[in-house]
Amino acid sequence: MNAVVMRLALQAVVGRRRVWLLVALVAVLLVVAFLTRWGSGGREESTAAMMVNFGIGTLVPVMCLLIGTGVIAPEIEDGSVVYVLAKPLRRGAIAASKLVVAQLVALVFTVGAVVLATEVAGDADGQLAAAFAVTTALASLTYTTVFFAVAILSKSPTISGLLYALVWEGSLAGYVPGVRDLSVRQWALAPAERMLEDVYTVNVHSDVSITMGALLMVATMVVALVLAVRRLARLNVRVAD
Amino acid sequence: MSTADRAAPHGVIHDIGFRHYTGQRLGRRWARRSLLIETLRGAYGLGRPAKSRIMAWLLLGLYVAPALIVVTVAITTKADHLALSYTNYSVALSLLTTLFVAGRAPYAVSRDLRDGVIPLYLSRPLSRLDYVAAKFIGLWLAVTLFLAAPITVLLIGSLLAKMRIGDAVTGWLGGMLMVAILAAVLTGIGLALASFTKRRGLGVAAIVTSLVMAMGISPLVTSVVNTQVSVEAGTYGALIDPYRLVDGLAAGWLGVDPSDAMMAPVNGAGTTVFTLAMLAVVGACLAVLTARFKKVGRV
Amino acid sequence: MSTLELTSVSRWFGNVVAVNDVTMTIGPGVTGLLGPNGAGKSTLLAMMSGFLAPSSGTVTLDGAPVWRNPSIYSQIGIVPEAEALYDAMTAGQFVEANARLHGLPQPREAARAAIDAVDMTFAVDRTVGTFSKGMKQRIKMATALVHSPAVLLLDEPFNGMDPRQRMHLLELLHRLGDEGRTVLFSSHILEEVEDIAGTIEVVVAGRQAASGDFRSIRRLMTQRPHQYAISSSDNRALAAAIIADGTADAVSVSADAVVVQASNFGAFVHALPRLALSHDIELHDVTPADESLESVFTYLVSR
Repeated sequence: MNAVVMRLALQAVVGRRRVWLLVALVAVLLVVAFLTRWGSGGREESTAAMMVNFGIGTLVPVMCLLIGTGVIAPEIEDGSVVYVLAKPLRRGAIAASKLVVAQLVALVFTVGAVVLATEVAGDADGQLAAAFAVTTALASLTYTTVFFAVAILSKSPTISGLLYALVWEGSLAGYVPGVRDLSVRQWALAPAERMLEDVYTVNVHSDVSITMGALLMVATMVVALVLAVRRLARLNVRVAD
Repeated sequence: MSTADRAAPHGVIHDIGFRHYTGQRLGRRWARRSLLIETLRGAYGLGRPAKSRIMAWLLLGLYVAPALIVVTVAITTKADHLALSYTNYSVALSLLTTLFVAGRAPYAVSRDLRDGVIPLYLSRPLSRLDYVAAKFIGLWLAVTLFLAAPITVLLIGSLLAKMRIGDAVTGWLGGMLMVAILAAVLTGIGLALASFTKRRGLGVAAIVTSLVMAMGISPLVTSVVNTQVSVEAGTYGALIDPYRLVDGLAAGWLGVDPSDAMMAPVNGAGTTVFTLAMLAVVGACLAVLTARFKKVGRV
Repeated sequence: MSTLELTSVSRWFGNVVAVNDVTMTIGPGVTGLLGPNGAGKSTLLAMMSGFLAPSSGTVTLDGAPVWRNPSIYSQIGIVPEAEALYDAMTAGQFVEANARLHGLPQPREAARAAIDAVDMTFAVDRTVGTFSKGMKQRIKMATALVHSPAVLLLDEPFNGMDPRQRMHLLELLHRLGDEGRTVLFSSHILEEVEDIAGTIEVVVAGRQAASGDFRSIRRLMTQRPHQYAISSSDNRALAAAIIADGTADAVSVSADAVVVQASNFGAFVHALPRLALSHDIELHDVTPADESLESVFTYLVSR
């Protein structure tokens, strides 16, 4: 881990226009939460449905995409990543430093937004907020790692990532049975299902068990990280386009 | 250069090449037209490396495919109407259009910003408005062609299925009108958002995110306002989403069936609101674009 | 002292061979990597700086491989061609960050020294984003020097510099070469290379066309006759004498000079003073007319 790399990564994500898009997304989530409350009068079922499909299903992956790619994709695109790579630092250390920063920023934004939105939309003694916080944290860790890897491995990480986040996670994973088992959303929802067992009005369901979900998430993160570091070690720096 | 010249201490400059251009200069209209055509061609990847071409044509293919299916079904079952109408098609398959616009708008604008070539453009007989107009119209034509393709397939299919010719053609004309308007709205939004960043990736993300969010939120707004305020107020939830906005316009102007009756104007006043909203959006986007390029040079 | 060794290095991209079986040794001093655009200079530099693997052959620094060996970067300083820097930081912060990334014990002082060396002290607190191209180039130099590397690799370093900045950089590179560092820079501008490079490596279409001191290279080009421009007190008589003597291939006369082409320049050079003396002609000026790097280069490129 390298403190300088971390500091540079933090500046890259938070100090640029990208952050306004993140803030806008949080605002949108809050607006939707407010509308949900207005429409449902604060019933937990509506909150849960909205959070699972929109908040966790769509918003969280998109935010993780922006953050996960934001710590490295711009530098690769304009070639300034050479200043970090042409140093006697292990590629794994560089990747880990950037990824840790991305994870922390993502957790703050995603979990913060989800908890806030849940309360605005209507909760049941904080149980929903707690369950969704856990789900979001797990999902955020996984998504951020995946998108970080995509940023290093792909020439247009944003488009690929968006297709995945919006089409796979956002739509199909909610409905198509086969796809569900392969979506981060389902894996992350497993603990929430357990935590919300006692809340009879809410029906949060996950197709995988907690252990299975955890295993799959860890496996995905490990694979993504390994691929990312390998590619980083072989990256030829050139100016984009 | 002969060495005889070199050895002696004097110099001669020969007029070997530089000539003033005295030929015809084609002027501002030509410049505008060329930029427009270049933008249009660039949107479909012509004159660009293979990768951008693949994306554009792949999306076009995916977008037209359902039309072929609809048409085949109609022909084989001898139906008397199409499963997807000329105006509903755009709403049903809006995600693909969103991806297309999100991919092409930054290509038209972000690269120029990043490379700082705007001063180059504007130092030719091309004013700032010309630049904006050329980019806008170029991309608008590209998106119109994209949206029009399946509509035209539907027309051909209707004729082949021996549906009433008059209905088919009027339906198609109406569809084309709405396609042109939808293209204008999407182009405006796409270019306006893309012009805020030099990074193509961020521009793509911003456009896709905005349009998809809008698409997701507008039915929510409608259903909430519908139950809490009134059905008529609920229809204005469509104003947030360009696709439903134009679909509502189609229902109001042409009398066709909207994709969702809860999200289309219920009376003349509603239609006026929808129309004004559409004009406002396009106008605002153009204004933003023009203002954006006022600060010329490195952003 | 550090020596970069390239042994039978080739690099291909699909069907395109960018670098074709190049063997060279870059030692202490200043070496110029010369070649037309697209000759493979950037590819060679990318391989030497450990960012691209050779498709065949090896690139080593004092025996250690350069590829996938990040520890080598403590000995190599790279000035990349990429324009982008961390625009939001000040020059001082940027160079200091680079110093810290190198793990230097006193990063701030090292950064300050590097910035002084490139004559950018006046801008140390200004944001990099506001710099002109030449200023950015000098900051890039500073980041390459901050850890006092034994090897310096520069890709077109004079790009965008004004004459004063260029002179300053030339002096700096000269000094570094004299200190015993291994400095390699690529260029397609001959004047720059002529000024400071002791050794040149010429690359044309991926192949190594020539290497060494450019004057020696010229002498090796025996297929092309040497040209001399001679001005004397009586050009016509001298020309006649040279023709009669037979050591020259071709002679041309004008009012100002006699231009001689001689493939056997050794014999000619001995004959000339003898002829002048025996014909009572005073020699004012004898200049080799084509021993410039330009003519060497042109010859190599058009072979």
